Amino acid sequence: MTDIPSPAAGDLSLPAFQVPRRKPRLLDWFATKRVAPWVFLAPTLAFAVVFFVIPIIYAFWISLTRWDTLTPPVFVWFDNYKFLLTTDPVFWQTFWNTMYFAAASLVLGVPLAMALAYAFTRAKGQAVWRSLYWLPMITNVVAVAYIWKFIYDDRYGVLNRTLGLLGLGAPGWLTNPSLAMTSVVIVFVWMQLGHNMLLFSAGLSNIDESYYEAARLDGATEGQIFRKITVPLLMPTTLFVLITNFITGLSYFALMLALTDGNGGPLRATTTTGLYMYNMAFADLRMGRASAVAYILFAVILVVTLIQLRIFRRGGVEAH
Amino acid sequence: MAEVRSRTPAAIAGNVLKYGLLAIGAFVMVAPFLDMFLGALRTPAERLAQPPVYWPQTPQWGNFLRVFDELPMGKWMFNSVFQTLVITFLQLATSAMAGFALAKYRFPGRDFIFRSILGAQMFPFFLFLIPVFFILRYFPLAGGNNLFGTGGMGFLNSYWAIFLPFAVTWYGIFLMRQFFIGLPDELMDAARLDGAGEFRIFFQIALPLVKPGLVTLAIFVFVYQWNEVIWTMTVTRTATDLQTIPVGIYLLRGAFIDQSTHSLQQAALAISILPVVVTFLLLQRYYVRGLTAGAVKG
Repeated sequence: MTDIPSPAAGDLSLPAFQVPRRKPRLLDWFATKRVAPWVFLAPTLAFAVVFFVIPIIYAFWISLTRWDTLTPPVFVWFDNYKFLLTTDPVFWQTFWNTMYFAAASLVLGVPLAMALAYAFTRAKGQAVWRSLYWLPMITNVVAVAYIWKFIYDDRYGVLNRTLGLLGLGAPGWLTNPSLAMTSVVIVFVWMQLGHNMLLFSAGLSNIDESYYEAARLDGATEGQIFRKITVPLLMPTTLFVLITNFITGLSYFALMLALTDGNGGPLRATTTTGLYMYNMAFADLRMGRASAVAYILFAVILVVTLIQLRIFRRGGVEAH
Repeated sequence: MAEVRSRTPAAIAGNVLKYGLLAIGAFVMVAPFLDMFLGALRTPAERLAQPPVYWPQTPQWGNFLRVFDELPMGKWMFNSVFQTLVITFLQLATSAMAGFALAKYRFPGRDFIFRSILGAQMFPFFLFLIPVFFILRYFPLAGGNNLFGTGGMGFLNSYWAIFLPFAVTWYGIFLMRQFFIGLPDELMDAARLDGAGEFRIFFQIALPLVKPGLVTLAIFVFVYQWNEVIWTMTVTRTATDLQTIPVGIYLLRGAFIDQSTHSLQQAALAISILPVVVTFLLLQRYYVRGLTAGAVKG
């Protein structure tokens, strides 16, 4: 093709085979099997650099400075980490708040989700049940927070009015510092229940029906079947739900923020480490220290994540 | 066999327990929404009474219209819809393209990129709040900034501050890759023999075949993004023109401080929930698929 002489002047029109080759040369090159995947990946790779790699490094650098965003940052090495871990009593308070929140959500939420999934998987009308149980999960956190603020209201909330009718006391759900975090946990469990129930019910439907039939033929009761067959075979799902919920719980703060007008009260009782970091950064403008909080919390979450990866690499993966 | 079992007393008790548990649970799930709904229908007088009236005498359906007059509800609604749709489109586009590349091509570095994407999901969102905020703020040549990223506000106070950080989803890439990997390679090779370029193969052959995957991801992103609060609030605190419904309601909470306006707040909240509930009820089977696929990665 290359040794075809250029068309001579005269009555000959341009040879047909030369026409389509010329113009879209760059596009054709992009559309080759070798180059195309990089074109497809280009937006993702650009995003990964600007909004993933650089922020991780940048955040670490900020955490080594003292920076109020109005004056230039002052480099202070690891002073922020040292202050948070050794001097700042609030950091540890928020850390234990976070641990309580994450652990209590598991203790309250996982057995509930498991029991409901067990009933749900064997019930008729699954689409209806599912829609009802998923309503909280697809509701934005501001709506969830204000719905519950009205319910939890000390004097006129529907909860305390009902308790009053029953002749019971009226606890300050969100005003009593020793109760407030538990109230937040209840709302969080309510939000997450549909999600966890679905994960459990997916795990349950993976258990072969023949195990149950064999057990029934041997005269096992439903209680025995649940304890001896369902629970052990559901173990991988349970572990998955426990660990992912725990990780979510450790980094969560949107609900506390919306429920307490951002202050994590009363008396910091509902301030988790995430909320502490958020307010430190965007209300107090202490970017350096807040970034250090973020990195410490990230380190904790990383440890839990690595434990999760170890567990699931060792076995139980096939259940998912 | 099921019929035989359902007649025994133990089976009947089991059924009562099963449906009883589900019904109590469902009541707890739904009742809070009814409490909000009743609240939205009360008059100020009913709220100020001692004790307040729980069941509104004449439901104030007009409260749902008043929020559009007395709050910037129209603007919030536009922002919620606009931002959610743009981000959904962006994430579908980037996820489909990257997922396709990772599923259907062999090239150096592919496995490294895929493993990095799986690993990236382990990084919690809060780690990015501060640095991304300042990257947008000091982005060179954006929003009045000079080459060194100073002088202006960068991408802050513009829709870009919301779109850009949500342009890519690691989970979405993973999900789309799972869908593309199921397509037979012969299909693409046949198209190549017919002289189709790779882009044509992507748009005209591969993409139509993973429509269920795209719908699954779209619902996921839609629900997540409609409900997103923390980031949108962080970058629109001073830019009221960009606020979405939940962010607007939260940041304007000072306006609902007195009893007589609580009904409006509850009406606005009900409106903020409605679109996602409708979407969800219509398409929930796709959502189930996405959630269980998320668990697959283990």
